[in-house]
Amino acid sequence: MSQFNKLVPPPNFCQVEEGLFRSGQPTSINLSFLSELKLKTIVWLAVEEPDETLLGWLDDNNLTLYHLGLQEGGAPWDAITVESITDALEHIINPSNFPILVSCSMGRHRTGTVIGCLRRLQGWNLSSTLEEYRRFTGNRRNRLENELRIEYFDTALVKLPQREVRPSWLWLD
Amino acid sequence: MATTVIAPRQPCTCNHTHHHHHNNTQDAPPRRSPQKQFIVPPLSFQLVATGVYRSGYPLEINFPMLERLCLKTIIYLGDQDYLPENLAWCSSHNIKLYHYRQPAVREPFVSNDPTYISEALTILLDRRNHPVLVHSNKGKHRAGVLVGCMRRVLQGWSLAATHAEYGRYAGEKGEADLEFIELFNPELTYEEEWAPRWLREGPKKATGAIN
Repeated sequence: MSQFNKLVPPPNFCQVEEGLFRSGQPTSINLSFLSELKLKTIVWLAVEEPDETLLGWLDDNNLTLYHLGLQEGGAPWDAITVESITDALEHIINPSNFPILVSCSMGRHRTGTVIGCLRRLQGWNLSSTLEEYRRFTGNRRNRLENELRIEYFDTALVKLPQREVRPSWLWLD
Repeated sequence: MATTVIAPRQPCTCNHTHHHHHNNTQDAPPRRSPQKQFIVPPLSFQLVATGVYRSGYPLEINFPMLERLCLKTIIYLGDQDYLPENLAWCSSHNIKLYHYRQPAVREPFVSNDPTYISEALTILLDRRNHPVLVHSNKGKHRAGVLVGCMRRVLQGWSLAATHAEYGRYAGEKGEADLEFIELFNPELTYEEEWAPRWLREGPKKATGAIN
């Protein structure tokens, strides 16, 4: 197991809502922590694949991996595409995927953009949404391009599950 | 005489092989029923773990959002009297308020009070009090200390990870808080039957359990 007697959550780990977590890429030191979450699904938003350790662990524990960060000619620092955001959100608001982890390399920009768009879908005001985004990027590392993605995200693009099977925290009235 | 129609701007998703035409409202994509009002969470709002939220001081503008959480308990760590409108709101929503008059930490003159933190942790350890909102004024330092102690004492997180979370809210300030979080090691009494699921069974689990 790990050389630490304490639990080590992945970088930038946080619970977003019931059944929904976010973080940077977990490494071997985070696996005992992750096991306790009993995850079913990972939405992976980086351009590149997760590393071998993580892939092996996903395999051993029968997790479903959705790699949604792929984009043609995309660089890791490019903003995530609107299509990927929409796909990611449709997985995130589907309770049959819970508990679900949304993750990218550092858990700041791509993950933060998708969670920001989720907050918009939940009806949050923009300042609170961007405050949460910046909490993870640090105030000087926020990227205007990502914040614009969040601000201008058209929530009508997201196909919603039937009312009866929506997560309790997806308030749409 | 030309009439100018000023329509609210929507992000345009069409492929432009023709002139821009989105100043005509008839071309706007179909939209969901317009948002009646925004959901406005308090400053620094976040879910900490199932049944426990943290934030800055909730104001009236945040009440509709907080009502959706069906809170049972509020823990306020701060030395101000609780605002009358907040007291009235708590009582009309059957929210029990625990107010610990912890002043802002300014070492060497003002330190964290371990009695407050122990009592607050004991409240978090009983699911009958959930959902709980823990708040201070800005949701940075005093709320961060309680959450940090919860991570360490109740959930068995490493110190580095706990400090990283504290720093996400507090930024550069708060050395005294970080040290307090490291050294705080209370004996807590709780009822196992009502313990939250995120309480970690482990070598350093809260001691002094049950009758």
